[in-house]
Amino acid sequence: MTESKNEIKVTGKEEPKIGVYVCHCGINIAGVVDVVALKDYALTLPNVVLAREYKFMCSDNGQSLIKEDIEAGLINRVVVAACSPRMHEPTFRLVCKEAGLNQFLFNQANIREHATWVNMKDPEGAYEIAKDHIRMAVGKARKLLPLEVQKVSVEPSCLIIGGGIAGMNAAIDLSNEGYKVYLVERTPTIGGHMAQLDKTFPTMDCSACIITPRMVDVARAKNVEILTYSEVVEVDGYVGNFDVTIMKKPHYVDQEKCTACGACVESCPIVCGNEFDLGMATRKAIYIPFPQAVPGEYTIDMDHCIQCGICARPDVCEPDAIRYDDKPEYLKVKVGTIIIATGWDLYDPTELKQYGFGRYPNVITGLQMERLLSSFGPVLGKPVRPSDIKAPHSIAFLQCVGSRNFKEGGHTYCSRVCCMYATKQARQYKEKHPEADIYIFYMDIRAFGKGYEEFYESAQREYGINYIRGRIAEVYEGKENCIVIRAEDTILRKLIEIEVDMLVLSCGLEARADSDKISSLLSVQRSADGFFMEAHPKLRPVDTLTDGIFVAGVAQGPKDIPDTVAQAKGAASGAAALMAQGEVEIEPYFSVVIEHLCSGCRSCQSLCPFGAIDFDEFKKIAVVNPAKCKGCGTCVSACPSGAMIQNHFANLQLNEIINVAVKKSTIENGGK
Amino acid sequence: MSEYKWRYGLFLGCVIPNRYPMIERSIRDVFEELDAELLDLPGASCCPAPGVFRAFHIPTWLVIAARNISIAEELGVNPITGCNGCYGTLRDAWFDLEHNPEEKKHIQTILAKVGRTYKGNLEPKHIVQALYLDMGLNYLRDRIKYKFNDLKVGVHYGCHIVKPSDKRPWDGEYENPTFLDEIVELTGAKSIPYKDKFMCCGAGGAVRTAVKEVAADFTREKLTNMRDVGVDIIINCCPFCHLQLDLGQVEVNNFYKDIIGEPFKIPVIYITQLLGLAMGMDPNRLGLMKNHELTGVSPFTSIEPFLNLVKEQL
Amino acid sequence: MSDNVEKYIKRKVYKSTSSDIAQKFVDAGLEQMRACINCGTCTGSCPSGRRTAYRTRVAIRKALTGDVSVLQDIDIWLCSTCYYCYERCPRNIPVTDMIIKLRNIAVEEGYILDSHFGLANNIFYATGHGVPCNAENQKQWRDLRESYGLPALPPTVHSYPEAVKECQTLMNEVGFKDLMDNAAKLKEERKAAAEKAEAEKKAKEEEKS
Repeated sequence: MTESKNEIKVTGKEEPKIGVYVCHCGINIAGVVDVVALKDYALTLPNVVLAREYKFMCSDNGQSLIKEDIEAGLINRVVVAACSPRMHEPTFRLVCKEAGLNQFLFNQANIREHATWVNMKDPEGAYEIAKDHIRMAVGKARKLLPLEVQKVSVEPSCLIIGGGIAGMNAAIDLSNEGYKVYLVERTPTIGGHMAQLDKTFPTMDCSACIITPRMVDVARAKNVEILTYSEVVEVDGYVGNFDVTIMKKPHYVDQEKCTACGACVESCPIVCGNEFDLGMATRKAIYIPFPQAVPGEYTIDMDHCIQCGICARPDVCEPDAIRYDDKPEYLKVKVGTIIIATGWDLYDPTELKQYGFGRYPNVITGLQMERLLSSFGPVLGKPVRPSDIKAPHSIAFLQCVGSRNFKEGGHTYCSRVCCMYATKQARQYKEKHPEADIYIFYMDIRAFGKGYEEFYESAQREYGINYIRGRIAEVYEGKENCIVIRAEDTILRKLIEIEVDMLVLSCGLEARADSDKISSLLSVQRSADGFFMEAHPKLRPVDTLTDGIFVAGVAQGPKDIPDTVAQAKGAASGAAALMAQGEVEIEPYFSVVIEHLCSGCRSCQSLCPFGAIDFDEFKKIAVVNPAKCKGCGTCVSACPSGAMIQNHFANLQLNEIINVAVKKSTIENGGK
Repeated sequence: MSEYKWRYGLFLGCVIPNRYPMIERSIRDVFEELDAELLDLPGASCCPAPGVFRAFHIPTWLVIAARNISIAEELGVNPITGCNGCYGTLRDAWFDLEHNPEEKKHIQTILAKVGRTYKGNLEPKHIVQALYLDMGLNYLRDRIKYKFNDLKVGVHYGCHIVKPSDKRPWDGEYENPTFLDEIVELTGAKSIPYKDKFMCCGAGGAVRTAVKEVAADFTREKLTNMRDVGVDIIINCCPFCHLQLDLGQVEVNNFYKDIIGEPFKIPVIYITQLLGLAMGMDPNRLGLMKNHELTGVSPFTSIEPFLNLVKEQL
Repeated sequence: MSDNVEKYIKRKVYKSTSSDIAQKFVDAGLEQMRACINCGTCTGSCPSGRRTAYRTRVAIRKALTGDVSVLQDIDIWLCSTCYYCYERCPRNIPVTDMIIKLRNIAVEEGYILDSHFGLANNIFYATGHGVPCNAENQKQWRDLRESYGLPALPPTVHSYPEAVKECQTLMNEVGFKDLMDNAAKLKEERKAAAEKAEAEKKAKEEEKS
């Protein structure tokens, strides 16, 4: 970025000399209105000293037009009448800056989205509206004042919320780049859902085999502090300077003393459901989630523990590691960036009563099937029917359960991974039981990724899995708890009613039930589907609209493992870019207090949604923190004394816009 | 006002008054016993039947339904019906007009031509809705005097009392409702689960009028499923289902005699008839006693077996 | 040779899959029908489909692709309006309402069963009841009412003849009578055309022998 040799000093007291540039934007604007006439109109406005029109103002040539006029000293304010400022405001601001003019003395009139594009069938109307926009933009330009961007420093540390495959990958990358990482995970172990999977498609790699080395990498990474069984409870601050409070939940086991011998588990009298195995296996009230857990820490689940004291006896726990009086610990850290990698919940199909989940024992979810297939799962990898613990001779899978549902309250999106995981599970079962009949009931098969179509073809040809195009309408229970399925084979227009031993519902992925908590903690938005919203669906998939906060993995939307890892690496790269620069620019749209007008009533402070206003006890006036202020304007309208001014949107600027808009002031009518 | 706790306008429809007046008798008397006043709706017509007349011409269906509701509005009462079909029509018409202001205005203009007004502020109800939601199970339980000790009931809900579920008062439940079973079990009878319990009887949707044999095949399947679990009687809350299961039973025994084995002879009873017995009412007031010598009238399947069980158990 | 031609040669390739029928739905505000992805849940739920040739999904598909046989065949009249398809459709299409609308269109074009026509035109229009009891040969039903202590005629249109007239006025106002008359006319025309074709076929066969 070159600074110009002649920097134009503007104090705001000199006469504004405005240059107006009307863009054709090809035929987008010029195809509807007469741009030469608009240029001529601009020349009739007060303080406009020159006006030009050009085919594409954003091109190099277009930009040069502005630059030359500034450098020649002809103008000290710039108005470009073209597309939306969301497209090219940064472009034109940069031009001003390079030519030596303060970049905030630039204003853009949107005569494309707001005039020509929405009135293509009414060129006269479009022309009038374009004139209005130019007149208003010129009015504001008259009152613009120079502003300086703020720079804040960026802490070289990152908070990653969620210790699954996304969080772990981002942590490793950032640690390798030399940044400190706080990896916060709410369950007692990292690994996430991927640790529950048996094999992964399409390579049929054993999930535990590929993830456990990563888990160990994370544990060994120099700069990563793993905080399992912990939750983020407060986040304050702004990009580069987040003040985070983390609650470390009590394990009730002293991890320094615990030798992980497991004697406490053997002696514990309380048996409860095991979340990791989705209720199909048991654990004790004192437990370790699964054998390969990282860190290998034991925890007491106080919701079930009756504090009988058996595990605390010296003959059970020799190192005396049990601590019933353990309390949560709070850790306060300062980080520069945050990555949300909180993953997903599986859709609960109980509400779809026509499929009998929860009523018929032999109807299970895809994740439960995954645990049955897992070699360290409840049946050591030999799936059986829940009703009689016998291997099923026939299994049916139903796709799109809880997804692609346009009913009130349903998830309309496709969960992306279910076609592949059902095919994978079907193949796995066929490998163990070649004589079994397996049916997959589908509406569409989505095998979009690398190697996926080949995987699907092999499932049909080599393994003989029956794909039936028809969504199951209803099921009922037949003899010996078998499941009778009613569906239409839509390709043959045949109604079928077949009996299978077990039905697997390929449930979709949904956003975590407590996403709204994270949303409000971090002030990040969620999309209509419940997942966290990316800044731009095409071009910024891992940024959020909150500076400094990134999102990766299924937390942003359903996806498979390769895409999750790619996003994790992308988010890490985004965070690293910020932290590498060491400082970040903040736009100067913040409010400023006129000190002698402020009466210290503090109305602004209570209303500020971003907590950006502090109170100076000594001077007894409000003080705005420019870095936290987002320029929403609430304090400006609330202040009873008129003591708040918003940079770049001050009352004197807004009043001018309103005046010229209503009075249609030109030089001819005296500019009044 | 008398000691009545509720007031409704009794919408009779067609099948109840003109083919199964015993149902009308039992509804009037049971509601009287329950301190609910049933006013007559003078000049009410066919609702019109949703399966036939809505299928022929939706505007006709809408305007005649609105007219029927307007008769109740004139008396300031909610129209109430003992028929799923009439309930389906009145309620769907009311719901659709409430959600479509333009359509509502149009209907009001047409009704004005015969001097009628339509406001849409009184929701049409089913008598089972009144029993379960307005009066409540506790209120009904207090009035039960006698209980059966071994009566196995196949409960048949029918379709239009629960669907379309977004226009019904049952919180969207349609796969597995329990409200009718709960009322039946107040009487001490046991509601026996059977295969495809919520399946349609086959009469509706103009099917019975189109091809009797097709409707009868639906009924054959239902009767078979109920007989397989050994029900003593069938309880329903719709006279068209009642007709299809009653007269239809005779038709099934005829059309499908080759595949059903023994002919069916399961008594078909309407919900208020059962409830009234448990409330200690005289069977004559419930349309259960035959005090005529007419032939070719309802009930077509004998209810003698049920009356015997009543004598034994109550 | 020509027997085989008749038996095996079927040049059935459809040149068009656009639909006037679909446009009627869109005009009536029922454009949800176009969201159908043919998943088959409706057909799978249909109790009629289990015992007849009626396939819910196929009826909708025919309407969307302009196959007029859906208006002419009896299939859509075998739907008992149980509403399971309406409840379970994942694209939130009110399927039963679509079938009802198809029936409306069929009646407009004169495709209505004789039994239904009689019920609508002669019974419903004339008496105001779909199932009346005031005819000469329906005395046993009036007697049955009296045996239960009820008046021979219920307090419906049967007891208020001016109410019958009121219903008829309303039905005329919305075009019901015209619809019925038109249907009768079209049915007559088709019947005459069919009889003519039958007679011609017979004549040709007699000529051959």
